[in-house]
Amino acid sequence: MPAKDQKKPAPKAKASIEEHKAHADAFLADPKYKVKPTTLNDTSDEAKP
Amino acid sequence: MVYRPTFRKQGDGSRCQWVNCGPASHAMAAQRHRRGVDPRTPHSWPPMPPEIRNYISPHSCGGTSLQDNDAATTHMYLVNMDVRYGVPWTTFRSLIISGRGAVVQIRYSVIAPTRYDASPGFTGNHAVYVNERRASDGAFLVYDPMADHRRAGIPQGPQWWPASLLQRAAYAMPGTAAGCVNASFTRDTV
Repeated sequence: MPAKDQKKPAPKAKASIEEHKAHADAFLADPKYKVKPTTLNDTSDEAKP
Repeated sequence: MVYRPTFRKQGDGSRCQWVNCGPASHAMAAQRHRRGVDPRTPHSWPPMPPEIRNYISPHSCGGTSLQDNDAATTHMYLVNMDVRYGVPWTTFRSLIISGRGAVVQIRYSVIAPTRYDASPGFTGNHAVYVNERRASDGAFLVYDPMADHRRAGIPQGPQWWPASLLQRAAYAMPGTAAGCVNASFTRDTV
């Protein structure tokens, strides 16, 4: 999901907490980001001891 | 002050310990989600990586996904994470600033050449827990479950990673949309 597909850009880092909260809530409410891409293998690998 | 969960290492001697980055990261996320408050389910509290692993795959090992771990934390601790794919970086940043923690999928080859490397020789898929962002320099407080200082040179516990490092490592996860990250978010605890 490229960033350009977003309806509204995220606020700047120094924006108010309220602006960040509003953006976060709107984003999480958008169902399209819940869909796992078919190309993604998101399982973890075995690390080194 | 943002609630900081207890650091949990994956190399705890338990079954599947070296493929337990997902359960270890979600154990920390679940504690943050509930701000340390026991949900009083039949499962023990605080969340521990081996118990989450045993729920996901009681008789085998292997890598785990965000969805696997979300199903486990929802069942065991009533912690329903928000799993999202293709999250633009600036939106990820907003979610952290606004009061959420996140488990982020990364490619460790990006971390390997840096002083944050907690598993020399490992370059594969990994999961870390991100608790907060520091406004002064934009760094993120990352709980890498491999950072247990099991020998000299390996970091210990949460580390402030430069934003650019976390960003590059998350972007490098194979199959991820360009300029985006895959992550699972706690509730807003602020």
